[in-house]
This record gives sequence, C-alpha cells and structure tokens, in this order.
Amino acid sequence: MIELIHVTKRFGDVVAVDDVSLSVGKGELCVLVGTSGCGKSTTLRMINRLIEHSDGEIHLDGQPVREFREEVLRRRIGYAIQSTGLFPHWTVERNIGLVPRLLKWPASRVRERVEELMALLDLSMGEFAGKYPSQLSGGQAQRVGVARALAADPEILLMDEPFGALDPITRESLQDELARLQARLHKTIVFVTHDMDEALRLADRLVVMHQGRIVQQGHPIELLREPADEFVESLLGGEDRGLKEAALLPVSERMTPLGPRLVAKERVAQHATLREALSIMLWRHVERLAVVDDDDIPIGELSLRRLVGARGHESPGP
Amino acid sequence: MRREAIRPNSALVSLLLATLVVWLGLDTVSVSPNRIVPGQGVDVLGVAGWGGVAASIAPILIVLGLAWRPTPVRLRWATGLVVLMLSALPVWLVVAAALTVDPDMPQARMGIGGGVWVALFLLLLALIELRTRLALSRVLGWALLLVPLASLAACLALGLEPLALRQEYQGRSAAFVSAIGEHLMLVGVAVSLSLMLGIGLAMAMRHWPRAQRMGFAILNFLQTIPSLALFGLLLAPLAWLSGRFEWLAALGVSGIGWAPALLALVGYSLLPMVRNTYVALDGVDPDVIDAARGMGMSRGQVFRQVRLPLALPVILEGIRITTVQAIGLTAVAALIGAGGLGTFIFQGLGQAAMDLVLLGALPILVMALVADALLGALTDLLRPGGAT
Repeated sequence: MIELIHVTKRFGDVVAVDDVSLSVGKGELCVLVGTSGCGKSTTLRMINRLIEHSDGEIHLDGQPVREFREEVLRRRIGYAIQSTGLFPHWTVERNIGLVPRLLKWPASRVRERVEELMALLDLSMGEFAGKYPSQLSGGQAQRVGVARALAADPEILLMDEPFGALDPITRESLQDELARLQARLHKTIVFVTHDMDEALRLADRLVVMHQGRIVQQGHPIELLREPADEFVESLLGGEDRGLKEAALLPVSERMTPLGPRLVAKERVAQHATLREALSIMLWRHVERLAVVDDDDIPIGELSLRRLVGARGHESPGP
Repeated sequence: MRREAIRPNSALVSLLLATLVVWLGLDTVSVSPNRIVPGQGVDVLGVAGWGGVAASIAPILIVLGLAWRPTPVRLRWATGLVVLMLSALPVWLVVAAALTVDPDMPQARMGIGGGVWVALFLLLLALIELRTRLALSRVLGWALLLVPLASLAACLALGLEPLALRQEYQGRSAAFVSAIGEHLMLVGVAVSLSLMLGIGLAMAMRHWPRAQRMGFAILNFLQTIPSLALFGLLLAPLAWLSGRFEWLAALGVSGIGWAPALLALVGYSLLPMVRNTYVALDGVDPDVIDAARGMGMSRGQVFRQVRLPLALPVILEGIRITTVQAIGLTAVAALIGAGGLGTFIFQGLGQAAMDLVLLGALPILVMALVADALLGALTDLLRPGGAT
C-alpha cells in the first residue's frame, strides 16, 4: 500500500509535482499517464526516494518513506526503467540476482531464484543466463529488466515507461505478459507511461496528470465515460473513446442467450473484446455474431444493436 | 564474374612500390674507417652488384604480383614472403658488412642506411595490412614478428661485429642494462604516482564541479611548459628543500637527479590521466547508474561495482597514453642527471656519434611500442561481451 499525501516537489522555482494525493491499494496496478514533463516520472521516483519530495508525506504501508534508510527502502521496491539499466558488464544471471545478493541471500538461493524468474519470464536458462545485455534484443533485455525488478519478491513494483522503447508487437506481448504476471503475483504496481492504449490495457486505476497535478483518477471505464475536462478527453483519444472503451469490455458482457435457432454464421470468442467483435462485423458485413466458448461451441449471440449498447427489445432475425 | 570482383589491394601495392623505390634509391649502409669520420653511403648496387639487386628485389616483385589479385591464398603467401623479407634484413646486413668493411681495419664500422630503416618500416606496415585483411589474431600477428627477431638475434650472435650500433653497445653493455632499468623505474613510478593522484583528482573534480574548470586549467598550463624549462624551474626549489630538510637529502632528493625528473614526469602525466579518468567516470550511462541506485546499491557499491568497472577501459586508455608519453619524456630527463636511456642520446649528440644516439633511441622506441601493445590488449580483454 502506497500513499502520497499532498506531495509537492520543487526544483528551484519550478514546481514539478504540485500537491499530489494518491493512494495505491495492495495488489492494485496504478498507471500514471500524461504528456511528457507532467511530473509522472518525478512522482514515481519520489516513492523510492531517487528524488526527495519537498512537501507532504509519502507512506509505505503506513510508514513514512523518509524513516527508511534509502538502500533498505529501495531493496524492498522493484524498479524497472525504459532503458532497462542492465549492467553491461554483468551477465543476465548476475543482473537478475543483483538485489538478492545485496540482501545477502546465500548463493544457492540466489541461483534458485534466478532460475525461477527466468522460467517465469520465458527466458531459457541455458540460452540466456551467460549472455551479456548487448547480446539481447530489446524485448529480451526488458524481460531481464522486469525479472531483475521482481528478484527479491518485492511487494511493490515501480515501472517507469518500461516498454516505451520497444516496437509495437513486442510491446503488446510484454503488456500481455505483465497482465498475466500480475494476475498471478498481485503486486502493488505504479506504472508510468505516455501511451494511452497501454495505460487503458493495464490499469486498475488510471491517474491522469497534467502540469504537475492530478487531473482525474479512477477506473479506466469511468474516465472514458466521464472525462473530467477537455484535456483528459483529448488524452483519452477524443472521438476514438468509444472504440477504446469497447476494447476494454468482453463480448460476454453484451451477448444474449442462445435462441431456439442460431442465425449467425460468423463467430467470435466470448473472451474477445467488443472492439474485436465490431471489427469482425465490419469486415464480414454482418450484424450478428455467434458467441462461442473455448471449445468453439456456440453459447450465445451478439447483435450490432446490443454491441452498441442500444436498449429495448431485440427484433428476431429474418 | 569472380575474377572481376578481385581488385588490387591498393594499400599493399603502394607500400611495396614505395619499398622498391627506397630500397634501390636510398643508401642501404654507410661505411666509415673509424668512429669520428662521417660514414660514406653505399646503395644496394654498390654493395652487391646487379646480382644482389636482382636477388633482393625479386621477393618484393612477387608480393606486388600477389597483391595485384589478392585472393586469401595469395595473401597468405604474401604474408610469408613479407616475414621472410623482414627476417632477411639482418642477414643482408651481415652480407653487406662482409662485402664493404675492410677486415684489416679494426676501427672500420658500418652504419645502417636509410634504405634499410625505411624498408623495415614499410614492410611492417605491409604486415599490419595483411594481418587485417586476413583477420589474423593479434597474438598471431606478434608471433609472426618473432621470426625476424630470431633472425636478428642469430645475426648479432654470429657476426655483425662491424655494425656501429653493436660496437657502441659493446663498450657499454653494463651501462646499457642499468640505463634500461632506470628508464623503466622512472616511467613505472611516475605512471603509478600519477595514476593514484589522477584518480583522486578526477573524483574530486566530479564531486566539486567548481574545482573542475580550475583543475583542468592548471593541468593544461602544466602541459604547455616545455619539458626542459620545467626541469630547470624545479632545480632551485628542490635544491633549497634538500638543503633545508636533511631527511629529504638522505632520500636522494636534490636539484638534479631523479627527484626533479620524477616531479616533472608526474606533472606531465597528470593531464592525460585525469582527463581520461574524468571522462571515463563521467561517461558511464546515467540510466545504468539510476538503475543501480534504484535497486538499492549504496554509493560505494555503485562506484566499485558499476561505475569503476564500466569506466576501466577508458581509464586504461589514459594509462596507455600516459605511459607512452612518459617513456619518451624520460629521455629528456637524462639532461638533469636522472639517468635512463636518454644518457646515450645526449652523449651521442655531444660526440656527433649518431650510432650512440640510436643505441639510446631504439630501445625507447621498442619500449613505447611494447607498452602500447600490451596495454591495448589489456583494454580489449576488459571489455565484457563486446559491450560499450
């Protein structure tokens, strides 16, 4: 649990973070989003005291961060950054084992933990353990970066645009991976990004920052439906907001139970998003889809009327 | 198709053409009846006649031909021939000595002419080019040089008595060995001292940015003082100090000798050392340092485990530059009685005996080359996984 209480950061006369209050609950993935220079990275870095806050208080599980010794605090918090910050003179194995070694774990336990993490992040031990960071692709390096951040099993993870430098395909696969990891590990994560799609995909709580202040925070759907002002609206994609919301809702939310006879030929999986369903309709020129379960067995129907959320009675098909 | 793809290796061709020209155009040896009289230059034709000319230029022409259509196999042959020519140079000197120096004149001596020196230089360049083209390892490159060195050693052992350089050495072998020792000692101590001081200064400058501009200004200024002037400037204060404090005099500190030489050498070594160390420490990727701190490393751990190892290759580069520079500068230190190989150079200059100058200068050259190569290899070794 992380709490920021009226936190302000000044660099000389410039106010970088202005009276920010934020509470991130245990197991919550909180995404700070905003244009560059809005203070989101500064906010993140104040939590592990890479930057000291000027005013206000930051609490970690109820204890002010200033009461910790810097190193002790940071070893309790995982930290991953855009450029990975991997040590170029250390092998992958040594890089991942860094924090456990700082915590003086016995060598055998460090090695076990590294093996465990590499398996968790789909990095083959035999192939990658002895490699140097310069021999890795961007995506592999970032996986190692995340593994290193998770090494000492911290409850809290700070991630500063970790996927910002990757190509779109690698970025998406790592976002999926993070979502998968989070579903298993339930870490408390503060994640900074300027990529709104990434933010919407990952966030349990979305925090929009502008000029050092928090403009709006809440669940992504809340923000999409009721943006606080024009800035949030434009950041959320303006006219595209409908599609972005559709991308967050599963088909199962709008489908109707299976009628006496199935009329739709085209199919969509129940876990697919409404956006994907809409895309299939556009592509196939149909207004109805059969919703199928994991075994490809029809369990319901989705009509265009239902998809767009129109209320009222369904007129049966022709 | 393939034939067209193979172009002449222009570097090799021009190097060998130049070798051909200097070999035939410049004097290959010089002969004098005694030490004082200036030598009389003799060219290849004068030493060995047309037969000698033909025999000596044959391998050059063959390598030229090989370099014209340089397939890997031909380049291997060319490498062999270049090593052979390098090894033949000492033998050529033995032959030339036998043909030109009158054995009845015990004072007669033979100097090595410009033709041989320049040909040696050009052939070494050709060898470097071949090593690069064939992608031979550094170690193999050095191993190839062992063959000519062995040839030189053999020729020195078996003959070459009339060689002036050898005659100069013969009378001074003990002095020569101790001069090399003094030289190495001065360089070693000066470089170690400036390394320790340099790291300290560089770290201080990183800590106090204000000190940085001032520090570099002073070091730059030191570098601009001519070495002779600096030795002179140190003379009076050191003489005064040793007169004042007995323990300093007991240590051997005085206005002349090793003390001012060492001080001046350290002074000159500081700039390259501090500059490289500063740039190296400062040039470490700030994101890596940020990550190191973010992971919870203490300041000391960040410095020892991350910043220093990552800076090490560039710091070593500084040590390399400093060492090579100090090896050269120490020669001048002989003027104020610090000993070393410079002694022979200045004696030789005073006696107008060029071969004695060479006796001092050649080992300095070799030392500089060896130090350069060793430290360069060490730098390569310390770069992990081909990274930054």
